[in-house]
Amino acid sequence: MTTYTICIFTENTIGLLNRITIIFTRRRINIESLTVSETERKGVSRFTIVIKHDSREAVEKLVRQIRKIVEVMAVFGYLNDEIVFNEIALFKVSTPLGGKALDVETINTRYKAWVVYWGLDYVVIEKTGAETEIFDFFSYLRQQHEILEFVRSGRVAVGKTEKGLVEYLPEAEWAYYL
Amino acid sequence: MEAITSVMPEIQEEPQAPTLINGSQALMRALVAEGVETIFGYPGGAIMPVYDALYDFQDQINHILVRHEQGAAHAAEGYARVTGRAGVCLVTSGPGATNLVTGIADALIDSTPMVCIVGQVGKKLLGTDAFQEADVMGVTMPITKWNYQITSADEVPDVLAKAFYIAQSGRPGPVLIDITKSAQLELMTRPFAYERCQNIISYRPRLVPKRDQVEAAARLINEAKRPYALVGHGVQIAKAEDELRLFVEKTGIPVATTLLGQSTIPTNHPLYVGWLGMHGNYGPNVLTDEADVIIAIGMRFDDRVTGDASKYIRQAKVIHIEIDPSEIDKIIRADAPVVGDAKEVLKALLPLVHPNDHTVWRNEFRKYDAIEHESITVPELTSTEGKIRMAEVIDLVSKKTKGEAILVTDVGQHQMMASRYYQFRRPNSLVTSGGMGTMGFALPAAFGAKVGAPDREVVAIIGDGCFQMTLQELGTIVQNKQPVKAIILNNNFLGMVRQWQQLFHERRYSFVELQNPDFITIAKGFGMAGHTCDQRDNLSASLDQMLAHDGPYLLEVIVEKEENVFPMVPAGASVSQIRLK
Repeated sequence: MTTYTICIFTENTIGLLNRITIIFTRRRINIESLTVSETERKGVSRFTIVIKHDSREAVEKLVRQIRKIVEVMAVFGYLNDEIVFNEIALFKVSTPLGGKALDVETINTRYKAWVVYWGLDYVVIEKTGAETEIFDFFSYLRQQHEILEFVRSGRVAVGKTEKGLVEYLPEAEWAYYL
Repeated sequence: MEAITSVMPEIQEEPQAPTLINGSQALMRALVAEGVETIFGYPGGAIMPVYDALYDFQDQINHILVRHEQGAAHAAEGYARVTGRAGVCLVTSGPGATNLVTGIADALIDSTPMVCIVGQVGKKLLGTDAFQEADVMGVTMPITKWNYQITSADEVPDVLAKAFYIAQSGRPGPVLIDITKSAQLELMTRPFAYERCQNIISYRPRLVPKRDQVEAAARLINEAKRPYALVGHGVQIAKAEDELRLFVEKTGIPVATTLLGQSTIPTNHPLYVGWLGMHGNYGPNVLTDEADVIIAIGMRFDDRVTGDASKYIRQAKVIHIEIDPSEIDKIIRADAPVVGDAKEVLKALLPLVHPNDHTVWRNEFRKYDAIEHESITVPELTSTEGKIRMAEVIDLVSKKTKGEAILVTDVGQHQMMASRYYQFRRPNSLVTSGGMGTMGFALPAAFGAKVGAPDREVVAIIGDGCFQMTLQELGTIVQNKQPVKAIILNNNFLGMVRQWQQLFHERRYSFVELQNPDFITIAKGFGMAGHTCDQRDNLSASLDQMLAHDGPYLLEVIVEKEENVFPMVPAGASVSQIRLK
């Protein structure tokens, strides 16, 4: 199974998330993660959807089907080496009075993670990185402390190609045939 | 008497504020601005303000009251197929909207332009499970080209303009507009102005093909030894019948059509070799697997056309001419894709292709034709024993209408027989439910087709099972005095299912026999003339009587009970494994 990141640029309209996810559901493709936010262009949203699939051809067809949606401006399917990507995770870790002290130096220097909130008997640590880095850190923390809550965001990604959306948007060829 | 002493006050003219109209009136004005002449609809609580506005527009918009919303959808499809313009449906919320669903799905898969305007509960009630509230946006999202919910009157003009543009451009399809009752009632905050939509930033169908794609296709065509054109519905949608004829006549390439592509080229054209698919003709199916270049135009390689796609045209280079880029490489990988409108692509190809002599190759089709003719066509058309056969009926209809009628068929054996035996002379003459295979399609669609093409004879060919799915539309036909001629081919069976059970399930006829009502009495109850024919000797006179009748007419023909449609490509087989018996 190969991981594909699909970036979809759309108009910001109600119900579009549904219209897009239906396309995955119909083809029985599971969405590993999904992130949506407004882009540098007002009114243009960017969906970043991660899937795993063993057929590149099927992913290409999927991309074309998404492109059919009227409000979709462009769709790009990427392999991992074609993008810069990251996720963010928050760990709520138990630090009871008299318990094991938090090794902040290791957390900062070895794992590039930061304590972002101190509660009375817990802390919240933020870690950004690829999935493997986040789970490395997860393993480390679990050995040292009790993890009370753990949450991981969807992937965010930008392509490594020079041109971004703004230059492409007006008349470009991809609008017709991907 | 008291003297009149007061002086009449002077009337001072004050500048008048522009009259503001409500959402419903705006909707009517938008429809008129789009040139909509006919709406198929059914009123109800959540669309009442629109119907109220419609009362004042009756001289501009012809509203046809159907008997069930599914009838409205299929009638709109029939209308759209023959006119090329969007068919318009107007229904209420909840069940009114959900009753449209089958027709919307049918229109999507067969690329039929349709604009459905659906009432919705008031904005404040949205999401509260209010009376007749259904999440129509959610329901129709996967089966519309686009849908939108209007929650304020100001949105009406722009959204309607966008709806018609999307429905009718590119690869046409159904669009649904859900309009809340509050938006129908509230006043616009600005004067009504309407501008037709010409452009949407995120939606730009490519009409004119890229030069290099056309050149690559032309090279393949010029080098081909055994080329073969497969023509789908897209050519008629693009109104490219003349360009197609010029193209095949210049290149000498044999041409076959899909089910929906039929009538694109006259059946008796010397280069026409028949139709493709599960029940298509023998030669075009077998020889698909022997061509060296396949030119697929406005078709999408449906599984009913390809049989087992993994065994389909592996030997040939494929040129795929298609307006919808997502269809390219979806089923069959194209060696030379050309994205564009069929008319524009054929126009661009014409000067680049060379005249060629493909007589030897074309004659191969004739050999298979002769086999099919002898083993299937002749026995079906010349039988003298037993009940009337479906083929005889269609053959006679074809002769009596000189191939000039619009044939509207339902779904099943009679549909395949109609396609086999009707000799089409004019384009846009077959209206049938291809992709969805919707039983109950024909009667309302025939009505819609007649409304759209009043000058043409419209003959519906309907099975006894299909008829009972939408027969209430007889009422619509009679009320609107549309002279639709409907023929029921009655074999008291769900014939196609029975055929499959016979061939593939050891004759285990599981729930396919029908106890039918007296169809003619039903028709008469609706006020429609008709009669039953069950004798071969009376068939010709019965058809004459039907065609000569001034008004709608229902002819029931009692046909052979256990007749099968051949040729047939069994499901999952390759097209070259087509069976003659």
